[in-house]
Amino acid sequence: MRTDTVIMGGGLSGLTCGIALAKRGQRVTIVASGQSTLLFNGGSMELLGNIDGTPVTYPLETIASLPEGHPYRKIGADRIASLADEAKQLLLDAGINVEGDAAANHWRVTPMGVAKHAWLTLSENLRIDDLKQLPARRLALMCIRGFFDEPNSMLANGLKELGFEVDKHEFTTDEITKLRRSPSEMRAASLAKRLSSNNALQRIADQVNSLAGDADMVLLPSVFGMSDNDSYDILKNMVNKPLRLVATLPPSVAGSRMQAMLRHYFMMLGGNYLMGDSAVKGTLEGDRLTTITTAKLGDMPLRADNFVLATGSFISRGLVADYERVYEPVMGLDVDADKDREQWTRFGVLEPQAYSRYGVTTDATLRCAKQGKTIANLRAIGSVLSGHDTVKMGDGTGVSLLTALAAAHGILSDK
Amino acid sequence: MADQMQLCNISESNFEQCTKCSICTTVCPVAAVTTDYPGPKQAGPDGERYRLKDPAYYDKALKLCLNCKRCEVACPSGVHIADIIQKARMRSSEGHRASLRDTMLANTDLLGTVANLVAPVANATLGLAPTKLVMDSVMAIDKHRTFPAYSRQKFTTWFKRHAAKQQDDFGQHVSYFHGCYVNYNFPKLGQDLVKLLNAVGYGVHLLDKEQCCGVALIANGLYKQAKRQARVNADSIRKSVNTDHRTVLTTSSSCTFNLRDEYPAVLDVDTSDVRDSIMLATRFIYNLVDEEKIKLIFKQDYKRRMAYHTACHMQRMGWQLYSIELLRMIPGLDLVVLEQDCCGISGTYGFKKENYERSQEIGSVLFKHIADAQVQAVTTDCETCKWQIEMSTGLPVENPISVLADALDVEATRQANNIN
Repeated sequence: MRTDTVIMGGGLSGLTCGIALAKRGQRVTIVASGQSTLLFNGGSMELLGNIDGTPVTYPLETIASLPEGHPYRKIGADRIASLADEAKQLLLDAGINVEGDAAANHWRVTPMGVAKHAWLTLSENLRIDDLKQLPARRLALMCIRGFFDEPNSMLANGLKELGFEVDKHEFTTDEITKLRRSPSEMRAASLAKRLSSNNALQRIADQVNSLAGDADMVLLPSVFGMSDNDSYDILKNMVNKPLRLVATLPPSVAGSRMQAMLRHYFMMLGGNYLMGDSAVKGTLEGDRLTTITTAKLGDMPLRADNFVLATGSFISRGLVADYERVYEPVMGLDVDADKDREQWTRFGVLEPQAYSRYGVTTDATLRCAKQGKTIANLRAIGSVLSGHDTVKMGDGTGVSLLTALAAAHGILSDK
Repeated sequence: MADQMQLCNISESNFEQCTKCSICTTVCPVAAVTTDYPGPKQAGPDGERYRLKDPAYYDKALKLCLNCKRCEVACPSGVHIADIIQKARMRSSEGHRASLRDTMLANTDLLGTVANLVAPVANATLGLAPTKLVMDSVMAIDKHRTFPAYSRQKFTTWFKRHAAKQQDDFGQHVSYFHGCYVNYNFPKLGQDLVKLLNAVGYGVHLLDKEQCCGVALIANGLYKQAKRQARVNADSIRKSVNTDHRTVLTTSSSCTFNLRDEYPAVLDVDTSDVRDSIMLATRFIYNLVDEEKIKLIFKQDYKRRMAYHTACHMQRMGWQLYSIELLRMIPGLDLVVLEQDCCGISGTYGFKKENYERSQEIGSVLFKHIADAQVQAVTTDCETCKWQIEMSTGLPVENPISVLADALDVEATRQANNIN
């Protein structure tokens, strides 16, 4: 099977790159081994949140001071602003309603009620542009009875610490009560599937409207719309006050929806999305990759002019660590990782961890290498790249989006 | 030592790799519509930990599993969740007899043999309201369902009378595992395959012995019979591949998945030595075109708008790509590729009275997408999806092989491939 480009990995970076290429007329195949870590995302993208433990307010200004090996430095600090605009537009084109500006971070609110820096946030989510000017004074925090995925006392306390007045209300509806019969499934995704009909939403709105009192904003957990924006849009019109959602513990409904919308957009553009398959082998001829063998397609490998590695980090198995080494499992590409296992981790789970900066070695054009030799038509994007730290720097989704677009531009200009 | 430790701690089903992320539960079509089913994570790897301690922890709700495998497709950690559930069902069924209804539904070939003999009577009778009511109340087969019509002539009978003789004249050869649906209900699909392959120079042959692949037997708990039939099929396939050097082609995604993957995973019948030589015809034909070994020429005046539905087992095999790309070769075909949603029938599951409503609720998302697509027909590689979609949307549903055969300019194709 031959297409113009084969992308290994179907998460945020793989899909973004695939969409950018398909929009320009390329035939693209994405190999996605299972669902992606986008399902752990509560509805925000981050460009750069922290440097050495200090929050970053103006990411574009700060990027020039990042260390050389950071993916943003590789694609060029001067290109970040335009790539960021392009990424935002791509998300909007896919139907993902994000708001935010790369010039200045805003704050998103975690399920634990902690404010963290973000670049783009879904318009339905609670977003704070300035901690001194909160978007509401008094919040009605509506808690679903028996719901697993929202630690609502912590959330309420966190919101109070941010300066909100918070009235916490618990409620239920017929649909929610029925769901409670299954003891293990009072989870965000299960609720979203049962709360999508107009009747179910109306019952929620009735509860919310009768309980909200004199609050000037209503907060609900993000349990609306696994694959489209309809549920939230309908509910918003039924609720008498401004309505915002708060991210839940994963798997996240907003993350599932973003993944579904990006995949749908990619397929609409004619892309092939091979769900549940994974690349197992690459064949090199000279300095070029000629084919990728997948687990399911077996003896009929995928051929292409260009290949993209978007397989993610350790959690997605784009990188693997055993007792002796850190390696890239598909082709044994060169990786930036400490040889000495003692160096991989530091005691204390909240300490900066060396392993979270590990990834495949790339040159300034994001091309990968094997045994020191650059592979001319294989680029790496997203979390599989070395030199960034999603947890400590708050740059994971930004790196995924921007390196995906940079790689797509590189592929298109090669031709 | 390090390798040993890691390798020894991985079971066949990979269940130790479950990180409890719950992503499988978000894609389960059954958990989405009923609270009686605990969801794949709990039914699979979580429950397995208890069942390993004591089989009495088996939960009867596991029979609600469709075995659609969507949990396995979604799992980021490669856990064979549905296999774990199937095996648990199998262990718990030992010593129990399946009900008359389940035995009847599962024995698609026995039922077919009888029904073919009396096809006009069977079709008329099975479609009558009183028959449906009796089946509904006595057999618990839902009255909304119509059994697929039985053909007056079996595919194998047609083949032996009208096609077998010419097949040796071709330069290349394949075997065809037609399955029960083609043989008893819809010989046209088999005829379409013969037409298509003959036009590009391939002779088609039946296997020495073909029995029902057993997918319905597994679903209905008739494991012993499924194993017996699996061994017969495995032997015939081996002869075709090893002695006659003929790849074994299929036109049903569920038969294919069963022969290749469920035989070893669920029935412990090892087919690994010939697994690579069992494939859907669309994969085989696509590859011949891709390697420029054959050419397909389509009718100039063919014009149709269709939607492609990826059957669950097709998605599990990861082969929808071949059917989609082949269909895209037809110039006059405007193809909409639908989102991958379950139709809800899952073989015999949706025929059972207790499952009917759940089955339709599961399929409702897909039916809406089909309605939105504004197409003249739907195409899919699974026959039970076909019945479900036809009943629920009113649109005709065809196998991609039939669509290709219909659009093919046979004479031009024969000429392009130098077939006399």
